[in-house]
Parts: sequence; structure tokens; C-alpha cells
Amino acid sequence: DGVAALPAPQNLSVHSTNMKHLLTWSPVVLPKETVYYSVEYQGEYESLYTSDIWIPSKWCLCTEGPECDVTDDITATVPYSLRVRAILGSQTSAWSILEQPFNRNSTILTPPMIEVSQDGFHLVIELEDLGPQFQFLVAYWRREPDTKEHAKIVRRGGIPVHLETMEPGAPYCVKAQALVNAIGRNSAFSQTKCVEVQGEALPL
Amino acid sequence: QEFQFGPCRVEGVALPRLLEAFRTVKETMQIQDNITSVRLLQREVLQDVSDAESCYLVHDLLKFYLSTVFKNYSHKIAEFKMLPSFSTLANNFLFIVSKLQLSMSRLNDSAHRRFLLFKSTFKQLEMETALSKAFGEVDILLTWMGKFYRL
Repeated sequence: DGVAALPAPQNLSVHSTNMKHLLTWSPVVLPKETVYYSVEYQGEYESLYTSDIWIPSKWCLCTEGPECDVTDDITATVPYSLRVRAILGSQTSAWSILEQPFNRNSTILTPPMIEVSQDGFHLVIELEDLGPQFQFLVAYWRREPDTKEHAKIVRRGGIPVHLETMEPGAPYCVKAQALVNAIGRNSAFSQTKCVEVQGEALPL
Repeated sequence: QEFQFGPCRVEGVALPRLLEAFRTVKETMQIQDNITSVRLLQREVLQDVSDAESCYLVHDLLKFYLSTVFKNYSHKIAEFKMLPSFSTLANNFLFIVSKLQLSMSRLNDSAHRRFLLFKSTFKQLEMETALSKAFGEVDILLTWMGKFYRL
């Protein structure tokens, strides 16, 4: 009855930032032994309708580290149960189950990093590439009295996007926030960044 | 990206993701369906559905899939090692149904008649046959839902 001898992992928790979900636990430490772990998940559907069915995590069928990236397992905005057990040779521990089911709508959304530059008279922004679930709201304006703020939705990060053709005489400022449609939430705005184009105004 | 089923709006589900999930199980699953003369999601069920009907019809269909088709077919899915894709479909259907219920007020008779037609055809078949046929027709359901999807 070696099964019970192997202690189960403890202190399961999920750390989720920008729709990347990392399940962690306290490692099972045995002198001179390498303990492996197996992770399984259940969406709300399974726990409601087929509670005996648990699905092996895509990346952590047998993993060494005391953590598992479950991002690819969590594919709906419903609560997910997660469980882990330890494996040592032919021995397996009991399952430890995450105390509170995890819903991806609780992910922490950080303000996106932005790079603002000028290409001649063109105001250009490049946003952090946070993956396919992310769009961005970009706000930009000419910093002068009574100015009007413009907004633009950028569908993807990681590529330069032209915002406006600038005129000398005042800086142009930009800020952005991340939008995640899958969970109906957005991040705070990023820092504002400004650039100013030098030289003569463009001929009309 | 959102669904707009008449008065009912559902945000947070990526239809392309569901189509992709079904694509990975389609071939295996549709082989199980050897009665090609019968179609559950036939023309009279899905054609010319008005906006007003659409919310009620999709709600009834998805609830049936969750509580009857998926529930009784999961052992077959597990056998074929297709649980991850199946889980994506089932949990997103569950999410959609939960959002639809918030906007639904009273019954829509014509939508209900369409659903009853689907259900009666399903009941006429032997259970295992009906389950594999219904599961094989998920792409028909998703394609129809696509008419109400806005990128």
C-alpha cells in the first residue's frame, strides 16, 4: 500500500496575469529523489454534468517543476477546478484539489507597454504583444489648449501602427489600455508618452 | 467579438475557437454516424429563423446539447481521447446559455416548435445513434450560430 506513503502536494494556487494562468504548489521534497507531478482540470461543465471526468493538462502530464502553465486548458470564462498529484516511480500520491475554482475573468490586467516614435511627420505606436486575446484602445492628442483626444482600436500588439500625421509646434501624446473581449474587461491606461516633430509645418 | 441573438447579446466567446475545437474531433465523430438519411438540424429547424426567435432557439438547442447530447456522449469522447476539445465546446456552450438566460423574458412559440421538431427527430432514433448524429451536427449548429456573430 505504497500509494498513501507519497505525500500529496500542498498549497495549490493560481497566479494569473494578462490571461496567462500559472498553477503552483509546494513541492514534495524527498531526499535524493526526483518527484514528478501530474495536473488535471475540470471545467464547470464537467463538474456539473460529468463530475467523474477529469482532463489531463496539456503541458503537465508528468512535470518536474512545482508549477504548470494551464493557459491552454482554460478555454472558457467559467470556473475551472484543478488538481495535482505527486508521482515517484510507480507510486502516486492522493490528489490535491485547488481550494477555489479558478475563473479567467479574475486575471490581473497590467497597463500595456508602449513605444511611441515618429517616422518623419508620422506619429507611430507599437504595443506590447500580449497574445491573440488582446486588443488595445489607443488615445492620442496634440498637447495644446482645447485639444481634442482621438481614440483608435488596435487589434494586435507587436506591430507599428500609424496614428496621425503631426505638425510642428506642439508635442503629440499617446496612452493605451488593453481590452480583453473574452472576459469583458480592460486594463488601466499606460503611462503617457509624447513626441514632438521639429521643423517647418507641412505646405498646405 | 460577440453574438447578437435578437435581443440577447453574448460577449466573451470566440466562435473561431469553437469551430477549431470541433474540427479536431469532427472526422472521428462523424464516422460514428452511419445513418445519412436523417438530419436532426434540418431545414425546418434552422432556416429563416427570425432575430426574435433566435435567442430562444439557440438557448433550447444548447441546453439540450449540454444536458443530453454531451452528457451521454462524454464516455465515447473520453474513449477517443478528445476530452480537451470537447471541454472547450461544452464549457463555452455553458457560458453562452448562462448569458442568454439573463435576457430572456417569455417563451417564443415558433422557436419552441422548431426545437420540438429537432427533439422529436432525435427521440425517434436509437439513443447511441441519436447521440453520435447530434454530436456530428455540431458544425451545422456552429455555422448557424455564426450568422449572429459580430467580429
